[in-house]
Amino acid sequence: MADIQKLYDAVLNGDQKTAVAVTKEALAGNADPLELIQKGMIPAMDEVGKRFECEEFFVPELLLSARAMKGALVLLRPLLAERGAQPAGRVVIGTVKGDLHDIGKNLVASMLEGGGFEVVDLGADVTPEKFIEAIRTSGANVVCLSALLTVTMPSMKKTIDALKDAGVRDRVKVLVGGAPVTPQFAQEIGADGYGENASSAVSLARRFSGVTA
Amino acid sequence: MTAETLLSRRERVRTTLAHRQPDRIPIDFGGTAVTGIHASCVAALRDYYGLEKRLVKVHEPYQMLGWVDDDLKDAMGIDVEGVARRPTIFGFPTGGWKEWNFNGLEVLVPGQFNVTTASNGDTLIYPEGDMSVPPSGRMPKDGFFFDSIIRQKPIDEEQLNPADNLEEFKALTEADLAELRADVAAANAKGRAVIANFGGTAFGDIALVPGPFLKDPKGIRDVAEWYMSTSGRREYVHAVFARQAETAVSNLKRIHAFIGDSVDAVFLCGTDFGTQTSAFCSVPAFRELWFPYYKQVNDWIHAHTAWKTFKHSCGSVERFYESFIECGFDIINPVQCSAAGMDPERLKAKYGTRMTFWGGGVDTQKTLPFGTAAEVRQEVLRRCEIFASGGGFVFNSVHNIQACTPVANIVAMINAVNEFNGRN
Repeated sequence: MADIQKLYDAVLNGDQKTAVAVTKEALAGNADPLELIQKGMIPAMDEVGKRFECEEFFVPELLLSARAMKGALVLLRPLLAERGAQPAGRVVIGTVKGDLHDIGKNLVASMLEGGGFEVVDLGADVTPEKFIEAIRTSGANVVCLSALLTVTMPSMKKTIDALKDAGVRDRVKVLVGGAPVTPQFAQEIGADGYGENASSAVSLARRFSGVTA
Repeated sequence: MTAETLLSRRERVRTTLAHRQPDRIPIDFGGTAVTGIHASCVAALRDYYGLEKRLVKVHEPYQMLGWVDDDLKDAMGIDVEGVARRPTIFGFPTGGWKEWNFNGLEVLVPGQFNVTTASNGDTLIYPEGDMSVPPSGRMPKDGFFFDSIIRQKPIDEEQLNPADNLEEFKALTEADLAELRADVAAANAKGRAVIANFGGTAFGDIALVPGPFLKDPKGIRDVAEWYMSTSGRREYVHAVFARQAETAVSNLKRIHAFIGDSVDAVFLCGTDFGTQTSAFCSVPAFRELWFPYYKQVNDWIHAHTAWKTFKHSCGSVERFYESFIECGFDIINPVQCSAAGMDPERLKAKYGTRMTFWGGGVDTQKTLPFGTAAEVRQEVLRRCEIFASGGGFVFNSVHNIQACTPVANIVAMINAVNEFNGRN
């Protein structure tokens, strides 16, 4: 029997070394990788999100937990693929064209992965064309656009407009976020949602994917 | 402009820093790297005010801030003069100016501002201008600012050595001191209040952690790694900060011996503790990890000089204000009123007699770049009403004026401050 509580604690405490060791041990004992994710990692990352919301955790703790989670996920992902397990949803994420800032975007991507989503992370300074291509090739149902700078906020609208022009806008829900972005701006540019922080982005992605937390 | 008027500018700032009511709200634009104006906006302002045609000098090449010359300072009614260490954030000195085409705008950049174009059209810039080493900064094609290229070497926990994160914190040379003395003297001759950034006192400023000025940065240089280190490697960070503080105080002693009290304020640290909606750490974490070193530097300054000390932190940072005050900071910037919990009236009421607000004059995320001139005027007048009473306020926008800000809005901002000053 896998020690799921240990994995949960390691992810919550941001202890990558233990998260990886526990996962290896569990897999050596023929643990079900899906169970490790669904009963260990997803609840741990949900708790991380809750603690972030109530300001018990801050960015450094989020980053540590995300790293621990990813360390374990690297071991589990190939096994999930072999078994044909379906993710909670597929998300394409990136910082929009002209903007090189990616800490916030990386946190959202990690929290989404920790929430059971398959994430296609396009990185920073991403052109609308790359978003379109990724939507087409990945079959994503959610697209997350990030911007830190006021001067790159217009790139969000350009990207959404480009999705419309390419005929892929209706395939996806578009979430936007980043320091200068507001719910009003999200509405103005035709986004489907605004994520104030990483955990609210996960909640929205779950809602758009028909997943209950 | 008469000498008498120029003198009153400095007195105006000194009065407000002493929390007494000045004759007018003093204004800063260009005094520091967080209260500046993007080069493109400086060019637009020069055109607007009909000033002599000349190329704008980019004195801060990371954020591409333009030098605000005396004629523009006079046109905008600016009361503050800035002094900074001559090496820029990319490690090369200001000076030896040369022309550069910046998205179609001809500007002047430092002579060692050496760039190449990447295959995707991005502009790459080199530490100390040395093109034989990998670039340390990148500006996206058609972009407006550089960002650091992260050059993090693989981390071996057993081999981590705090000295590797201290390469940039060194004793000033005699040549450094001579430069500073000359620059401070030149700034004093302008008659404005002088704010100086002597360098070396920023504890974990995330813009500096990657070492864009270093040819071969060692230690923890990745942004995410550094943030994680503030939670998971506290002993390491303490060791860095402790050694840094010692060096800083030693340098400040020598600087003060050279220049005395000929500067009015010193920019100490730009480490951001706030995000738009929250913070980068808890108050207890701040008090454990940063507070002792800020206090060490502030205590020395207040015991030995007349300098006021300036702390910059973006975001939702009201929760840290009591600690900022307790560890000795006199001035807070940029007063990001759009962030959570940063209501200007509440800030002024609670901290206004103990902390000078250097900023907060108008929002630069929405109002200034995207609002109408009428909206800018309205917001500036309101902020002046809130912050001006009893002194303790230097007018500046919330952080630098960003690229693409309409010049009409910048002018509306200045006119609104003048309107407020004229009727009060």
